[in-house]
Amino acid sequence: MNKKLEHQFVTELENNQNIVHKVCTLYTNDRDSHKDLFQEITIQLWKAYPKFRGESKFSTWMYRVALNTAITLYRKSKKRIQTQDYESVIFKIKADEYDPLEEQQLQLMYKAVKQLGDIEKALVFLYLEDKDYREIAETLGITEVNARVKMNRIKNKLRTILNP
Amino acid sequence: MIDELELLKKDWQKKEEHLPKLSYEEIHNMLWKKSSSIVKWILIISILEFTVPHLLYLIPSFQDNMEIYDKLGLHNYIIGLTIFTYGVAFYFILQFYRRYKEISVLDSSKNLMRKIIRTRTTVKHYIIYSLSMIMVIVVMMIIGVYFDDDIFSSFSQLQDKAKSISAEKIKISIMIGMAVMGVVLTAVMAGIYFLLYGLLLRKLKRNYNELKQLEV
Repeated sequence: MNKKLEHQFVTELENNQNIVHKVCTLYTNDRDSHKDLFQEITIQLWKAYPKFRGESKFSTWMYRVALNTAITLYRKSKKRIQTQDYESVIFKIKADEYDPLEEQQLQLMYKAVKQLGDIEKALVFLYLEDKDYREIAETLGITEVNARVKMNRIKNKLRTILNP
Repeated sequence: MIDELELLKKDWQKKEEHLPKLSYEEIHNMLWKKSSSIVKWILIISILEFTVPHLLYLIPSFQDNMEIYDKLGLHNYIIGLTIFTYGVAFYFILQFYRRYKEISVLDSSKNLMRKIIRTRTTVKHYIIYSLSMIMVIVVMMIIGVYFDDDIFSSFSQLQDKAKSISAEKIKISIMIGMAVMGVVLTAVMAGIYFLLYGLLLRKLKRNYNELKQLEV
């Protein structure tokens, strides 16, 4: 039974691992930390898995656990030097759609998002993942109105970062 | 700006192919790694905080101290105090355990943070209580010295050196010495504790306050 549960879990996570990688990309600055955080999220997901009874989609459930781990449970390991090549791998633009102006703009946007606080990043992340305000609010434990207010503030903040 | 964020959204969703891909085996191996989450640290540190002070009684020099309590006529008070102390410690441990069990990664972020802080607060209260208990014992000892009619026999090591000094002066110096030591000891322990506590929860508290501020 346990083996079956294990197999089921790993398969689901393997299929949905992009969600975790994206969270790691937002909250860490180098490959080692990325792997570290991925591992911690995996452990937390696995520990909570027996409580997941398929009431919601596996992926929906993952967002919450992954974000909670990144914002609250994860203790940043020793400070490491930010490596440039890591950034470029993650923020790479597809070659066939290469548009220098657009790429430059996107790079700046990503850099600005990385400068936000933990909570702000969580909001932006859920927004980028096309979640509605109800789900964003529920995940973070705030009201829908406040989620909208906060998102508007973040947009203003990003604007300030981009046009100092 | 809205347009820029929309642009980012489109690009973000195309990003998937650049993300790392872990194999089934790699993920499977991670299941058995040890968690280094803040909750686990809180559990470890709290268990230490609950047990270490009690282990001190096993050190011989602490047992010697018990003799001094006897000589100062505090024996019964100390026994009573010890029973009281264990009762209170038991209450705190129970409370801690209940709150610890409530922590769930499936909660909303705000609730999760609130419950972690609450669990930690239980231990904080225990520490504040323990430190005040140290002060109570120090005060009791000072009172014991004050009412002690035969100070030389209570502190036998003083006997030879201090023959020439009057008992009154000895008493006052012991009382001042105890008071200073008590205050310094408590202050140092409190300082170390709150520094550790602050460092561990700094990030969490900042994030929690940010979420809480939204509700105002």
